[in-house]
Amino acid sequence: MIHLGKNTTSRIISKGIAAGRSQNTYRGLVASHRRASGARNFTNCDSLLIGSHCGAHTVPYMEAKNSSTVFEHEATTSKISDDMLFYCRQRGMSAEEATALVVNGFVKDVLQQLPMEFAVETQKLISISLEGSVG
Amino acid sequence: MKPLLEIRGLEVEVGGKKILNGLDLVVETGGVHAIMGPNGAGKSTLSYVLAGKPGYEVTGGKVLFDGENLLEMEPDERAARGLFLAFQYPMEIPGVATLTFLRTAFNAQRKKRGQPELSVPDLMKRVREIAARLDINPEMLRRPLNVGFSGGEKKRNETLQMALLEPRLCVLDETDSGLDIDALKVVSEGVNRLRSPDRAFVVITHYQRLLDHIVPDVVHVLSAGRVVRSGGKELALELEATGYAQYQNEAA
Repeated sequence: MIHLGKNTTSRIISKGIAAGRSQNTYRGLVASHRRASGARNFTNCDSLLIGSHCGAHTVPYMEAKNSSTVFEHEATTSKISDDMLFYCRQRGMSAEEATALVVNGFVKDVLQQLPMEFAVETQKLISISLEGSVG
Repeated sequence: MKPLLEIRGLEVEVGGKKILNGLDLVVETGGVHAIMGPNGAGKSTLSYVLAGKPGYEVTGGKVLFDGENLLEMEPDERAARGLFLAFQYPMEIPGVATLTFLRTAFNAQRKKRGQPELSVPDLMKRVREIAARLDINPEMLRRPLNVGFSGGEKKRNETLQMALLEPRLCVLDETDSGLDIDALKVVSEGVNRLRSPDRAFVVITHYQRLLDHIVPDVVHVLSAGRVVRSGGKELALELEATGYAQYQNEAA
């Protein structure tokens, strides 16, 4: 994200999911030009871990070239807990249905921004990628 | 008549520690059984073992649900066959609207039983009707499941799920904990409305208070992992007066 104009604002929401043995890393550059006074950015990085052999890393880069720039960064990491899955399964969902439900909840605020067709595709893609990742 | 739930000599360990030690319990269809007992007697363990929570190792005894071995079934299969556990601490699921959760659970159970799924409008109608009876604001159905819910809202939501899923055996794990008097009334009324000759209840509680509202047929006292005494509803009143101390001595 590069801010060139005065009083420009931007927002980054990153949602990362790591399952199995995967490692998920967010790297993002947010920069403001020296004449872009009053530039603001808010970056939000959420990571979801499925299982206990995966990890999430957040590496935000910020280059503010003028003193009136405000850049904010927030990161959270959560794990699909066994208790959460058990709760869903007690209500009749299979392990995979339960995981898909929790994951879809996690990515919801991003998917909501997408046009309908993309959102549906993405949702399907996520459930396909998660197949067999729950053990 | 074949009992709905039959537990014989159940022994359960959690992390190498024996919690249930030869527990016997028989619940017939239509019956309402209360289980009372001091902290650490194994009440919650019993509810989790019935629901199939991982980490609870059954080392002896058997559990039959409708004549079939319950312990061999996966948690979701138990649910589809009609076992419902109202949690003491319901889980929060961020980003998943309560209605979405209800729909997913409801249709997952129907699919497992080979029934057709219910369409969204039909389901919503049902949910709305039940929610109205339980004094649940329809706005709550749009909020993420249990996230930021008050204690009363969480328990009402458990009751809502119970009413929607129409289970055959409801296990209520300390449903009265965290409820004020008004919420207790609403939840108990919700439970009472579900009482039917085709459905049984196992109500786990510390206090007589809940049993004033949900009147049980049988009361069992659980201590050190086994049922040490059973009796009618007057047993609960007696316990309220005498406390659990005598049973703890008996078990030791």
